[in-house]
Amino acid sequence: MADDENRVWPTGLTLREAEEVHSYLIDGTRVFGAIALLAHLLVAFTTPWLG
Amino acid sequence: MPSYRSFALGKLAALAPKYLPFADVATKDVPLKRLLRLSLFQVTVGMALVLLVGTLNRVMIVELNVPASLVAIMLALPLIFAPLRTLIGFKSDVHVSALGLRRVPYIWKGTLYQFGGFAIMPFALLALSGFGEAADGPKWVGYSSAAVAFLLVGAGVHMVQTVGLALATDLVEEEDQPKVVGLMYVMLLLGMVVSALVYGALLENYSPGRLVQVIQGSAVATVALNLFALWKQEARDRVRARQMEQAKPVKFRDAMRHLLDNPGMMQLLIVIGLGTFGFGMADVLLEPYGGQALGFSVAETTKLTALLATGTLIGFGIASRVLGQGGAPMSMALLGAGIGIPGFGAIILSSLGGGAVMFLAGTLATGLGAGLFGHATLTATMRAARRDGIGLALGAWGAVQATAAGLGVALAGIVRDVILAMPSEVGQTAHAPYNVVFMIEIFFLMLAIAAIFSLSKASQGLSLRKAAQRTPNPDDIPKINPVEVS
Repeated sequence: MADDENRVWPTGLTLREAEEVHSYLIDGTRVFGAIALLAHLLVAFTTPWLG
Repeated sequence: MPSYRSFALGKLAALAPKYLPFADVATKDVPLKRLLRLSLFQVTVGMALVLLVGTLNRVMIVELNVPASLVAIMLALPLIFAPLRTLIGFKSDVHVSALGLRRVPYIWKGTLYQFGGFAIMPFALLALSGFGEAADGPKWVGYSSAAVAFLLVGAGVHMVQTVGLALATDLVEEEDQPKVVGLMYVMLLLGMVVSALVYGALLENYSPGRLVQVIQGSAVATVALNLFALWKQEARDRVRARQMEQAKPVKFRDAMRHLLDNPGMMQLLIVIGLGTFGFGMADVLLEPYGGQALGFSVAETTKLTALLATGTLIGFGIASRVLGQGGAPMSMALLGAGIGIPGFGAIILSSLGGGAVMFLAGTLATGLGAGLFGHATLTATMRAARRDGIGLALGAWGAVQATAAGLGVALAGIVRDVILAMPSEVGQTAHAPYNVVFMIEIFFLMLAIAAIFSLSKASQGLSLRKAAQRTPNPDDIPKINPVEVS
């Protein structure tokens, strides 16, 4: 599919550029997810709910 | 509230750029509006600093009853990362990106860490203080989570500030750098002053719920402000992306050696460390000194900080103007340290019979000196950096500066407490422990002055040689007068 490294797709990005944009999204989601998990654990530790 | 703040800032910028200092910073390519917007990252840095050093320091001790020594350790944790600023700056210099970005990815990562730290911090602090069910839980949960929160915020602040300053330097021409430095410093100060007032007002009626609101609110504000600051700042660039791809990878150690090979660079870093340490020790002690030694009320001591900030602002203004017209950064730094010494002298004398007026004058003078010194040394660092090594140079500046300032704050508290705890007659008077700290500061400023002299002796005409290396025109920079451009 992506034979030409330098082909600009209709998004205006080459494949590698798109992959980099995507990597930022993935990284951000991971960090936000980890933080949210940790925050919930700490809240449950101080003021437990469901329990 | 925070959105209102940034809105007001934006309005302010749009309304009257010609009434603002540093307005002449705008070039055709980079309008002032864009630089002001970029400088918002300094507001979030100031916000984080105030929250850590000021607000949480008090809240943890007074409202949460955490032992003062534990608080001090927790707040000192971000210092661990300060030396890593050099590495972060270097990494942003040699970053390989298909989009041609160098600085923005790092600022974004730093913002994420800042946000993450703030997001978990209130719960970590509540767990640390044994709030609710945490009182029965294991202790390590509170310790480790609070440590993680402070480390995250610290790491984020270091990343955002180092790389943000590098981006600002990238954006403007060399002769405009003094004004960018001034702008960045002013925004840092502004962020600190405004957020100190806001935090003070919001936390007046303390409750655990309010603490959560305030800290998580700053988390959201941090992300919002930094996103707004970064928007469209660094251009996507395929040519640069290709260059990045083909560039030979540089080792950190080689780049560092190259930086320190610059004549006078090492001495410059020593000067920055000594001077920042000298000025930094005073920050946390002025308020309690005014209260305990001179009998100021709480409201009056808060005004002291405002006075100190005013002095610093004036210092930035003067330094921006003079350095922008081609003044030598080192003589400006010398002036700053030179003003600081009598300033601290006046502060000491005020408790020995000099009175409040002397104290206020001394406070203003130290603020002025700190402003001149800080601006001059940062400008000198920027000038000494090669165009492709700006991140590394600013990282080195930040590492030394943040370490010295943090150590200064920590040591000032320790020295005061040690002397207070001493049973001898030295500890009898309220002002004695403070005066010892102020004496130490004078001593360090004198060392800084000595270092400046040795620097100018070791590398006669450092700035001239640097200028000749980087600009095709061997004429020295002072001849260009960017102020006329406005």
